[in-house]
Amino acid sequence: MPIGAYLIVAAAVFSIGLVGVMLRRNLIVLFMSIELMLNAVNLTLVAGSRMWGDADGQVFTFFIIVVAAAEVVVGLAILVNLFFRRGTVDVDVPSLMRS
Amino acid sequence: MIEGLTGEVLAFIVFAGIALGAAVAVITMRNLVHGALMLVIHLLAVAGLYLTLESQFLAVVQVLVYAGAIVVLFLFVIMLLGVDRDDLLIMNDRRRVAGIVAAGLLVAGAMTAAFVGPYTSEASVCGSGVAAVGSQQPCIGLEAAKGPDDGAGVAFLGRRLFTRYTLVFELSAVLLTVATIGAVILARRRDLVAEDEDGDGDSGRDAGGDALAPVVAADAATDAATHADGEA
Repeated sequence: MPIGAYLIVAAAVFSIGLVGVMLRRNLIVLFMSIELMLNAVNLTLVAGSRMWGDADGQVFTFFIIVVAAAEVVVGLAILVNLFFRRGTVDVDVPSLMRS
Repeated sequence: MIEGLTGEVLAFIVFAGIALGAAVAVITMRNLVHGALMLVIHLLAVAGLYLTLESQFLAVVQVLVYAGAIVVLFLFVIMLLGVDRDDLLIMNDRRRVAGIVAAGLLVAGAMTAAFVGPYTSEASVCGSGVAAVGSQQPCIGLEAAKGPDDGAGVAFLGRRLFTRYTLVFELSAVLLTVATIGAVILARRRDLVAEDEDGDGDSGRDAGGDALAPVVAADAATDAATHADGEA
């Protein structure tokens, strides 16, 4: 397959994730949409690795997976804390930091 | 561009279709548990795409780390908090939805236009004997670069990981450690510390823990029992 086909799929998945971030108000869905966007970037990097026959793209994908795991762990811990304090995970509820 | 329906093309079409459909389902599912399960399907389809890109090791890592760990964490939090219903308030406002989806399509179109140019020919895939786009010498392809007895490419990746990117590798280890410690500290129930039996002077840390009181009261007995078990 030409690499362009993979890049088109990656662009579409990234945009779907972006729409999800803008459309939904639930923090958990926001996190899942961010995962979609990170995955689209990973797909682009792996396609580049295949295209140039080089390991760099796959190594970067490896690091992105590590960073995504760390991001999800910390984000979900904050989310659990937030839920116990405010009783909701809706991002449109007025912020605690405002007062 | 596509001569025939070879196995690789068929695999790409199937996996790409599943990945796109599941991605749309993730952001439109009303039930968050269904959304997380759709995310699993999406991640498995992307792992399949990695297989068609001759990156077997990353496909395995994708299944283990993403589908095996991250989505389980999502499901664990969803079920722990009991927030599996979402009312999709913004989705009822049709004009905003149309605007946001149009913006997303615009981004997808722009990225596609930027990507497609030189990458659609068969020559864009390394290993076909000619130089890839932007590369001077003809490249030998991923499968040949891996070496004869390295089917999954573990040694191929490891060699690069521990030579050129050693520092980044160490930094990612530090990042994971910091994230783990941070998650433990963030997710701790703070006002349980004040009720600690041995009273080791941690009570100064529970400032602001009052908001937790109604939630914790229900679980205090269970948690205290667990804590006592941990100390025994």
